Amino acid sequence: MIDLELNLPLTRFTLEVRTRLEGQAVAILGPSGSGKTSLLESLAGLRRGARGRIAIDDQVLLDSRRDVCLPPEERRLGYVPQDSLLFPHLTVAQNVRFGSRAVGGGEKLFDEAVAILEVEPLLPRYPATLSGGERQRVAIARAIATRPRLLLLDEPLAAVDVAHRDRILPYLLRVRSGMRIPFLYVTHNFGEAEALASEAILLRAGKIMAQGIPAEVLHPLSLAAADPAASFENVFEGRLEPISASPGSARLRLAGGGSLVVPLLHGAATGQAVYGIAPEDILLSAAPLARVSARNVFAGEVESVEHSTPDVLVRVRAANASWRALLTPEATLDLGLAPGEPVWIAVKTQAFRRLR
Amino acid sequence: MTTEDFSILLLTLRVAAISTICILPLGIAMAWLLARRKFPGRGLLETALSLPLVLPPTAVGLLLLELLRRTGPIGRVLDAAGIEVLFTWKAVAIATAVMSFPLLVRPARVAFEEVDPRLPALARSLGVSRLAAFTRVTLPLAWRGLAAGILLAFSRALGEFGATIIVAGNIPGRTQTLALAVFHRTQMGQDSAALRLVGLIVVVAFAAVWTTEWIQRRHWRMRNQS
Repeated sequence: MIDLELNLPLTRFTLEVRTRLEGQAVAILGPSGSGKTSLLESLAGLRRGARGRIAIDDQVLLDSRRDVCLPPEERRLGYVPQDSLLFPHLTVAQNVRFGSRAVGGGEKLFDEAVAILEVEPLLPRYPATLSGGERQRVAIARAIATRPRLLLLDEPLAAVDVAHRDRILPYLLRVRSGMRIPFLYVTHNFGEAEALASEAILLRAGKIMAQGIPAEVLHPLSLAAADPAASFENVFEGRLEPISASPGSARLRLAGGGSLVVPLLHGAATGQAVYGIAPEDILLSAAPLARVSARNVFAGEVESVEHSTPDVLVRVRAANASWRALLTPEATLDLGLAPGEPVWIAVKTQAFRRLR
Repeated sequence: MTTEDFSILLLTLRVAAISTICILPLGIAMAWLLARRKFPGRGLLETALSLPLVLPPTAVGLLLLELLRRTGPIGRVLDAAGIEVLFTWKAVAIATAVMSFPLLVRPARVAFEEVDPRLPALARSLGVSRLAAFTRVTLPLAWRGLAAGILLAFSRALGEFGATIIVAGNIPGRTQTLALAVFHRTQMGQDSAALRLVGLIVVVAFAAVWTTEWIQRRHWRMRNQS
């Protein structure tokens, strides 16, 4: 549980956050320049000038009325900045060990962090030789090797190209469930927020615009206030079942009752799995689809049409799930899409990417 | 090379090394302060620090002489403690230290400025103290600039002449460094003996610069290799 009562003057506005966060994983959403990074830096104690009170569980980190301000080294928060900030003069192993030794954790914490983030093959290398995704993994490993009370992740996927994104999300899910370290997660991606977080807050110009479970915060009204450049990855969780006729794909049985046909690159078609699909990869039709090659064809209903981005974000209810599709304004007009109208969705099996 | 040449070289190296080592802690602290902190009088301090660079060395020497003479503000204290400084190798070390101080501080300051201040901050968030963040992150990252500053200061100390001759004189075997000896020998018409010393100092300077470059290059290669 995080108690926040923070006041920090920034150049264009004052960050004023007053809330209590209960979730194990909290997503912080909002447009760029809304104070997300400043909030994380104030929590980590890296930014001077913050006033108010910060407490995590019963540990007070800051209480300006009582002149309490713990230095960063006593806060025990694992901060992973957007640009990783690995120590360039140290190898990956030395980077990860940097903190674990300081907190007296020794090799056990080091080994655990290396195993969870799968950075073993990178250990002898220097940060300059790593890709963006690898750097992020090392930065997360370095942070969790200190056994922090709380992980602060600043858009850990932003610096990473799309191909690497697929690979980092599962690690974060593993940190969340495997190590049970709660985290605060700044993101632009609403799909990710839904997949990772149990609670979300929406920041704008330093103020909290909305707070609650991700699905509520991601309500169209809140979204309109949020970042126009946000991405809206669709994320589905369910149980895999084999399809005897095609070994390269599997059926993903969703909790809501629907099912999807998804690719199966390796492993058996059993157990829980999470798949994602980009909103621009979803095909919408205003008329029933027949004899199409796509294996995922569903009849649905338009929930909302939002013109908040250069493209139009259309939310559709189909297969007992909520879908977000990005269309051009022209296509939206052509199809006559409006809330309550029937619509048909088509998605190719191969368009889904396995996230976990 | 005669034994006299050799002892002149030894004295020069010893004094230059001592003076460089002595200015290191203060020089690094000053460079860090100027790079990282804003405080009243910062501009004034910066200007004062650069004075030995722009003043004639003999003028600096004379000021030092005034400070260090028995009746001077510092000399009085030293005298009371029974420490003799003027016209000894200690005076040589003090003169070279003062003259080379700005040459250490300037590159060191730039080196500190080039280190992302978020790196030591992040180090602290990983649980290490402020001092450890400095010695384990800031210092190694600023190392190239620091090495350049140390080399510059050391080279300046090797060749210092004007301030030295005023506070330490030119006493063979006691305060006569290479630069002073070269001057002395040319004055005496012993040009070939002076040239021998010049040859020596060229070898020493070349070795110092080359070693520093080599260390830096090696460090750089290592860091950028997979």
